[in-house]
Amino acid sequence: MLFVALLITACSSDESEKFPVKSTPEIREDGSTVLRRGNGAEPESLDPHQARSVPAANVLRDLYSGLVQISPSGAIKPADAESWEVDDDERVYTFKLRDDLRWSNGEPLTAQDYVYSLRRSVDPATGSPYAQLHAAIVNAKAIIAGEKPPQALGVRAVDEHRLEITLTAPTPYFLGTLAHSISYPVYRPAVEEYGAAFSQPGNAVTNGAYRMESWRVNSMIALERNPEYWDDANTSIGRVEFYPITNQNSALSRYQAGELDWATTVPISRLETIKKHIPAQLHAEPTLGVYYYGLNVKRPPFKDAPELRQALSMAIDRRTIVDKITRGDEIPAHGWIPPVVEGYAGAQFDWAKLSTAQREAKAQELYKKAGYSQDKPLKVEIRYNSGEGNKKIASVIAAMWRSVLGAEVSLRNEEWKVFLDSVRQGTDTEAYRLAWIGDYNDPNTFFELMNSKFGLNGTGYASAEYDRLQEKQAHMPDEPERMKVMKKAEAVLLADSPIIPIYFYVSKYLIKDYVKGFEGNPLDSYYSKDLSIEP
Amino acid sequence: MLSYALRRLLGAIPTLFILLTLAFVMMRAAPGGPFDADRELPPQVRANLEAKYHLDEPLYQQYGRYIWDIAHFDFGPSFQYRDTSVNDLIASGFPVSLKLGAASLAFALIFGIPLGMLAALRQNRPADYGAMAIAMLGISIPNFVLAPLMILVLAVYNDWLPAGGLGGWQNYVMPVLALGTAMMAYVARLARGSTIEVMRSNYIRTARAKGLSATRVVWVHALPAALTPIVSFLGPAAAGIITGSVVIETIFGIPGLGQFFVQGALNRDYTLVMGVVLFYGILIVAFNLAVDLLYGWLDPRVSY
Repeated sequence: MLFVALLITACSSDESEKFPVKSTPEIREDGSTVLRRGNGAEPESLDPHQARSVPAANVLRDLYSGLVQISPSGAIKPADAESWEVDDDERVYTFKLRDDLRWSNGEPLTAQDYVYSLRRSVDPATGSPYAQLHAAIVNAKAIIAGEKPPQALGVRAVDEHRLEITLTAPTPYFLGTLAHSISYPVYRPAVEEYGAAFSQPGNAVTNGAYRMESWRVNSMIALERNPEYWDDANTSIGRVEFYPITNQNSALSRYQAGELDWATTVPISRLETIKKHIPAQLHAEPTLGVYYYGLNVKRPPFKDAPELRQALSMAIDRRTIVDKITRGDEIPAHGWIPPVVEGYAGAQFDWAKLSTAQREAKAQELYKKAGYSQDKPLKVEIRYNSGEGNKKIASVIAAMWRSVLGAEVSLRNEEWKVFLDSVRQGTDTEAYRLAWIGDYNDPNTFFELMNSKFGLNGTGYASAEYDRLQEKQAHMPDEPERMKVMKKAEAVLLADSPIIPIYFYVSKYLIKDYVKGFEGNPLDSYYSKDLSIEP
Repeated sequence: MLSYALRRLLGAIPTLFILLTLAFVMMRAAPGGPFDADRELPPQVRANLEAKYHLDEPLYQQYGRYIWDIAHFDFGPSFQYRDTSVNDLIASGFPVSLKLGAASLAFALIFGIPLGMLAALRQNRPADYGAMAIAMLGISIPNFVLAPLMILVLAVYNDWLPAGGLGGWQNYVMPVLALGTAMMAYVARLARGSTIEVMRSNYIRTARAKGLSATRVVWVHALPAALTPIVSFLGPAAAGIITGSVVIETIFGIPGLGQFFVQGALNRDYTLVMGVVLFYGILIVAFNLAVDLLYGWLDPRVSY
């Protein structure tokens, strides 16, 4: 009976007419405001040097402050360091820390804290997944490889307030890596006393705009404003609550019911309704992420077959995938570097501007050149990790390869960890799907992935020419000359086609009208301290 | 009876041991490991992590170490939630699951038993058909349909209940209904069947012949016997319901134990999976024992 009553109520209210969204902010008795953020999954760790997921990064950004930070619009600006100097070789950075830096327990924060933390971040004993982000610092690579002690890192406290970091070569994107959680300072006495539990409420000592108040796994992480923070005078929101809500529909319901001020995901099936009823609350921000297909070039059929790889890439109509499958305003990818990356207009496939018929004809031509025909069709497997979206995209790509080229395509899905294992081993994969999210706003975070020495490159692509160009641009001053080298590198990569970029990600958020100060940035780096709640 | 209970508890130890061993072998046989991620670890970092968690040791040694820790009630550190231990995760999740499970169970019994008995006493009459129609509906509607529907009507369209999270008792209303409805329906069907059977038995006829009132016959004589099949259903069902439900927890954002079974397996969080599996095993054993002891009280023919 309950069910019938529910069904009648639910159906009688026409979806197109009714989309209630409660819009009342939570304000506490003392007048301070509370920001309730949906946060996707439960953070795996709140140790800045161990964390690897987006939800963890969101919380850490509020808890900690680095040498630099990302402004609401995405620019790098001073944080703990009020200024810095770079020597003429662009190798030695000297950061001047603010005089009034303190930990949340009132203790002063000095350059020594940064030295300790940066060493810890690359120490193999820490087990940091992002240690490589510091590879540009002198001796970092050797320390990560266990060949030198962490003390050998090119980091030095000149005095209490001055920190010197020495790089092996000029690195134009170096400052950007300092805004990442791997570069945050951690409070040494807490780390040494509590070990893995140093991030827990009661133990945690942080230096950001907020301090840890409570943490219940799968329920909520609550942060309270940290009065010791150097920029506390400009912080507005008093308390931030992070809710791990993996179910997109649940997140939307809670947003509508007035239990969330900010939902980090939007169910695609409801996107049209949302656009119709609350367009001003929907924020779609292109981000540094690419959804791509990798082709295993260590094995047939893709080994030594650039024409075949190009033909497969060409046969995919990205626009159709974006418009009909993902349907979230994603950007079709005709290059490897997302267009939102700062200061770089990426190279594109030379066929990107062709008409559908021309493009398909060219793909067929290359397919034939690679030695395949109707009588001798390509047999290829697409492997993807289980998930509705991946499955649909794989089916569509298989259909395109079949209809345009006449290839025989089989699909195989695997559970995430099994899939990762297969890709890593690379012994039986052919084409597989993956994604890459940039760590900082510079093309290098994408270029680096395809370097044969980087270690995260499951395609097995190893081009001496590409490696050389990638390494060259990574250590050039940020000038037009670098741009030329990057374009060359991307052109080499696109011509070799070990990867088939499909689309660039667009993050979608729902944010209530009364939350002010939000601006989109491609890094998806948002600090609660930059927001305010004004009913 | 005490010696019977003791014997049963001792007998449970090998069972749990086998359960643990099977879980250990199955988790390790699954491809991929806890440190596999789309952002792969540098080799030295991976090696260090594996050493830290003793994954570099031979399997039998890891197994021995694990059993030793378990004997000291230490379920080990979680591989996924690096900042915490499996003991802490279970300690934080279980009270929530227990509260939710116990409330759902109470809901199922309080409504299910009278509904079933009513149907039995009015067999093949409109009340029976009505009650059984409700039961059929309750069994056939999956909770992942019922739950979002309730949220839509009770929390989004109307402001009657919170849509999710953990707060006051209001937060429990919808999860309890979603979790308890199917069980209530099942209990009603069991109660109906057993009541019909009991009402036809000789001792009930005797009681009636002695001129006892209908109320007395039903509530004092028939009810305990009619409860027996429900009690045997309740043992494992209770253990299942108080260890949480991943569907309900995910939809309502409730931090119970249920998610750990699924997340643990997906993340290859070896220790967490083993911890919750063992915990579930212990509960099953305990509830089955409780059920057997209850039999003796409900049914005079049972003795130990």
